[in-house]
Amino acid sequence: MEEILKLENLRKTFKISRKQQRINRTSDTVKVAVDNLSFTAYRGEIFGLLGPNGAGKTTTLRMLATLIKPDGGNAYISGHSIISEEAEVRKNIGFLTSELKLEDFFTPNYLFDFFSELYDMEKSVRDARKRELFTKFGIDRFAEVKLANLSTGMKQKVSLVISIVHDPEFIIFDEPTNGLDVLTAKVVTDFLEELKAQGKTIILSTHIFSLVEKLCDRVGIIVDGRLIALDTLENITKENSLENTFFDLYDKTCGEKL
Amino acid sequence: MRNVWTIIKKEFSRFFKDKRMVFTVILPGLMIFLVYSLMGTVMENVGKTDEDYKFTAYVTEMPENLAAAFGNGFELKEYSDAEAAKADVEAGNLDLAIFFPENFGQTLSGDVKIFYNSSKDNSNNGFITVSGLLNSLINPPFTINAADGVKFDLAGEKEWTGKMLATFMPMLMFALLASGCVAVAPEAIAGEKERGTMATMLITPIKRWQLALGKILSLACFALLSGLSSFIGVILSLPKLMGGAIDGEVATFYSAGDYFMVLGLIISVVLVIISAFSIMSTFAKSVKEAGTLISPIMIIVILLGVFAMFGSSTSTWLYVIPLMGSGLAMSAIMTFTITPLAFVLAIASNFVLAALLITAISFMFKSEKIMFNR
Ligand SMILES: Nc1ncnc2c1ncn2[C@@H]1O[C@H](COP(=O)(O)OP(=O)(O)OP(=O)(O)O)[C@@H](O)[C@H]1O
Ligand SMILES: [Mg+2]
Repeated sequence: MEEILKLENLRKTFKISRKQQRINRTSDTVKVAVDNLSFTAYRGEIFGLLGPNGAGKTTTLRMLATLIKPDGGNAYISGHSIISEEAEVRKNIGFLTSELKLEDFFTPNYLFDFFSELYDMEKSVRDARKRELFTKFGIDRFAEVKLANLSTGMKQKVSLVISIVHDPEFIIFDEPTNGLDVLTAKVVTDFLEELKAQGKTIILSTHIFSLVEKLCDRVGIIVDGRLIALDTLENITKENSLENTFFDLYDKTCGEKL
Repeated sequence: MRNVWTIIKKEFSRFFKDKRMVFTVILPGLMIFLVYSLMGTVMENVGKTDEDYKFTAYVTEMPENLAAAFGNGFELKEYSDAEAAKADVEAGNLDLAIFFPENFGQTLSGDVKIFYNSSKDNSNNGFITVSGLLNSLINPPFTINAADGVKFDLAGEKEWTGKMLATFMPMLMFALLASGCVAVAPEAIAGEKERGTMATMLITPIKRWQLALGKILSLACFALLSGLSSFIGVILSLPKLMGGAIDGEVATFYSAGDYFMVLGLIISVVLVIISAFSIMSTFAKSVKEAGTLISPIMIIVILLGVFAMFGSSTSTWLYVIPLMGSGLAMSAIMTFTITPLAFVLAIASNFVLAALLITAISFMFKSEKIMFNR
């Protein structure tokens, strides 16, 4: 199995205010959002990063996408360091998260062309790809409508398509089905499986257990910035449902009965 | 009443707990203090005649009892006749041509004729000095330049108009360009940051300097367009504004080369202003904050224009100061006194500063603290 993503003691802290320090009853001036995270993802798999709110999922993915820099450790995507080879990493990844917005003023058609230019794509390749993706997601009927006038679901589909204009080998999806109805969510999850079938590697963050059970080959469970479990879905759900396994692990690591 | 109090408390904590907001309130005052102090220091050297400068003058019928008073500050020149002296005043080679009435030393009355050239600083200052000197030494009944129908100010129409344009063109250029820039800079960077569309571009392979340069160049064009439209408005209203003192003929005073220099100056100035504003816009968390952060810089820019109103400088090193050099160069172009070196210095200093600022913006684009501060 070819390693395509490798995290080595990845760590990220954020400064916290004096008042918050008092509440936390600590003299620590920082909050550790991601705490020495290490794991590996292999080519062609869907890796699920499962964790509750505030676990550090988004922060981890933002580091992988080179938006923010880690305070410690490193991560490699297709062998390129996210710290020292940002340019190479950016070429090879697609990143979808709610934080990345598209200009409301433009149409899906314009935005697709704009981003494909930034990724230095050939015009013929771009047009073929645009036709294919727009048709698949039903964007073709809205290709010349300003984003501002699209529904939330359609906007999310456009964001998804734009995040993979350049046909990246490694795809990072942060809560890809958040805020979508079951129909649209199904379109998205079907597409993820299709990408997997094409041999792409996907890392997916979510707090939805069913999504992990449905899609993922391997799962990392993350709580408070730390990895508390890492295994194939099969192994993790061998004795118990994913949900119950999660609660058991949570009890054990956090020492509090839920 | 309690609710009002609750709102006031919230507003106050929003304001005073945000260090940046407090900073933006203090900043304009601080800037004005710095700029005025700077202006005060530098202004002493500009638009004024040097302390030990000797006014050149042609004098007829100099009364002996006044000769001593004229002794130090003046260098008297000989001319074959009055007309030759006046011609030299007009050409700017001689500061003053002074004609005392006969027996002025005894009578202390009559009309003293002083010919000068208001388009030349030294001649103009010389006229003021001599008038002041006479008025302080002797009590009227004498008069200065009372004769009807004589043109004592020998400045040509061209020079005079140039001098007048020189007083307000730099200021006008800075004000119009800055207002053009302020209209576009906050939205283009702080706006994109605020709306989260900047981050979407930052994860693509585009280099930070490419993003910065692309933004600055297009913003500069918008600012130029907006500046141009206001400029045309000003030009069209100028004849009315000046009560017919300036008319269409003015345009013919300047050569194509002059126009090209003005254009070059404007382009380089707009690049500096838009880059400086863009730094603030990058630093700001929101469009609104960008507006607040830009205003002190706007004040500086306009003050530099005011500064250039006080005349073109004789010392070339002042042209090396970005923006200020352009104001002075603009003045100098208007008065037909620009030298190639001064022009090149003025324009080059702008391009260098703009390049530095754009580099700074590229680095700011790389900083997660600046790009993702909320
Ligand atoms: N810019 C920031 N400044 C300070 N703290 C931050 C910042 N970004 C994230 N955090 C903190 O880091 C922790 C992890 O946040 P993160 O957004 O990664 O969680 P998450 O797992 O994505 O949660 P969710 O499921 O709610 O999206 C949280 O406690 C959050 O408050
Ligand atoms: Mg999140």
